Amino acid sequence: MAPTTYDAIVVGSGISGGWAAKELTEHGLKTIVLEAGRPIDPAVDYVEHVRPWEKRYRGMRDRKRLERYQPIQRHTGACDEYAGKFFVNDLDNPYSTPEGKPFYWIRGRQVGGRSIMWGRCVYRWSDLDFEANAREGFGVDWPLRYKDLAPWWSYVEKFVGIQGRKEGLAHLPDGEFLPPWELNAAEARAREILLQKFGGERLITNARLAVLTEDHLGRQKCHLCGTCYRGCITLSYFSSINATLPAARKTGNLTLRPFSVVHSVIYDPQTRKATGVRVVDSNTKETFDVKAKVIFLCASALESTRILLNSSTAEFPNGLGNTSGELGHNVMDHIMNGGAVGTLPWAKDRREIGRRPDAIYVPRFRNVKTKHPNFLRGYGFEGRAFRQGWERGSEMPGFGVQFKKSLIGDLGPWEMDFGGFGEMLPRHENFIEIDPNLVDAWGIPALRINCVYSDNEKKMQEDMVVTAVEMLEAMGATNIRPYREDNPPGLVIHETGTARMGRDPKTSVLNGHNQMWDVSNVFVTDGACMPSTANQNPSITYMALTARAVAYAVGQMKRREL
Amino acid sequence: MTNIAEMIIPETDTPGATAVKVPEFIDLILTEWASEEERAPFLAGLGDIDRRAATMGSSRFVDIPAAKKVELLTSLDSARDDKSGAGLAFARLKALTVYGYFTSKVVDQDILKTHMFFNGYQGNVPFTPVA
Repeated sequence: MAPTTYDAIVVGSGISGGWAAKELTEHGLKTIVLEAGRPIDPAVDYVEHVRPWEKRYRGMRDRKRLERYQPIQRHTGACDEYAGKFFVNDLDNPYSTPEGKPFYWIRGRQVGGRSIMWGRCVYRWSDLDFEANAREGFGVDWPLRYKDLAPWWSYVEKFVGIQGRKEGLAHLPDGEFLPPWELNAAEARAREILLQKFGGERLITNARLAVLTEDHLGRQKCHLCGTCYRGCITLSYFSSINATLPAARKTGNLTLRPFSVVHSVIYDPQTRKATGVRVVDSNTKETFDVKAKVIFLCASALESTRILLNSSTAEFPNGLGNTSGELGHNVMDHIMNGGAVGTLPWAKDRREIGRRPDAIYVPRFRNVKTKHPNFLRGYGFEGRAFRQGWERGSEMPGFGVQFKKSLIGDLGPWEMDFGGFGEMLPRHENFIEIDPNLVDAWGIPALRINCVYSDNEKKMQEDMVVTAVEMLEAMGATNIRPYREDNPPGLVIHETGTARMGRDPKTSVLNGHNQMWDVSNVFVTDGACMPSTANQNPSITYMALTARAVAYAVGQMKRREL
Repeated sequence: MTNIAEMIIPETDTPGATAVKVPEFIDLILTEWASEEERAPFLAGLGDIDRRAATMGSSRFVDIPAAKKVELLTSLDSARDDKSGAGLAFARLKALTVYGYFTSKVVDQDILKTHMFFNGYQGNVPFTPVA
């Protein structure tokens, strides 16, 4: 009979949970990771080398199946004919939104969570980001600054293996970098042109990625097949499965229990501590409790808060740890899909070899030195320069022998794409709550998500289009095609907030070490903890916060303060 | 439809659309993948192509002289931004032919020789088109 009492419980095995597991087990704690979904076996489940002709619709997606079982998940490109299996069944995992306020909640539910499909982009914050709430009067002040988190970014970056180029930017600090892939011929020229024309303010740099360019701690360098989101048998990009869970296993202190849907945290009013969690076995639907001295909620931002909202007691009628009233509030995502693509006139005698999963980054330049008249905060651009091969055939005039030869033996011109990712302001009226009329396939009350973009985000997105076009024009690009889409929030899959850290228990759920003010042995280290979201991709920050919070918790346990 | 697909990507010293079963792929897409709202105008557009053929010698595209076929497809190709009718059907057919051809096993492996493993990234490699 397996033990039901551990030193530590980690809820979730995704990008944050994997780190909690590694850190807790490496500190010597007997740790159980409760994962709602199924186990993943790389030998069977990874599909990065599957070719289109091995799929029924050659990668065009089984739209009818998607419409039936994944009507929300299908909105993200990675939910395709190869990797769609890593995204949830929407029928089993329902949620509601008010009329006219859609939110696309994109989730994975398996060992590894969304760390299997994530975009692998990693960027540090600076105090420009940490101080923004306090300076502008939105949300609450972060209870830490760059100097508090910098050593932890270093710590996680060294394990993860990050490729990048040092640029010495104060507002996008350099990290611990492996050498990056070079910029291609078109991107290198574009970087030079922008340096001249914008005096260094708009910079094309190599994307900072959790994808190895050298063998690293037993994982192999990337071989550029280009389809990381489908898995990676060479462990070349970072995920829980590829890196942190194996490290946790090595300690001998890890128990990983998949098919374990955590319903709630169990609170003991005598000790004023959590004693453990209530679990529903997703196969048998049986309910059982697991006990531990400390609990790390890493179920992903909205799921962790959902568990707390479902953990109400007499003392905490509105969710465990919610004396502030902030639990569920200040949900944020990023805003994306503002940008432009254009045709470049040069380097026609050059091409690239190898398919990079990500390529270039333009760090934020708005509201850094000067205040923009239309919006607060800022955005960065992801992008790349590329030449199309046969894919250009549907748009290319012609047919017949020459057409065929051209598609096989020639390439289209270089094209450059810039797509923006911008910060969303925290607002109290963007919140999640339990929907009293909805449960999931395991009988657990589901969420209602109330979240809309505001004017600040929309104006920011308009500006993304303006500056992307300006950069392309500066390069002499032709056939410039701006784009801007009205996606609901959630689709960037950077949802954060709902159990924010802060300096004051009256206005926040967690203290500066991700520890619940109200229940000192519960820690929340996934996206739920963020008081603001900056414009940088958040995952590396979840990792740093998690490692730091575990060190703090372990220190407290050793001093018997927990 | 098979005739047109083969004209878009003909057999040369390498297989054409027919040999790599592009018509079967297009059939699969039409019958299983497409919705009724997508299928109906496409089939109607193919019918329009036959009607245009009727002004050129026969009531079916497949029966008109080869030179007339080229002339007809050339005029459709320049109308590929059409939102309906023969121009739209040709545009869809061309897109599916290209996609079905280049994602086929034979073309992917033997003609494109798509690699899965690279020793590193090279962004500045000399390139001249193979005519």
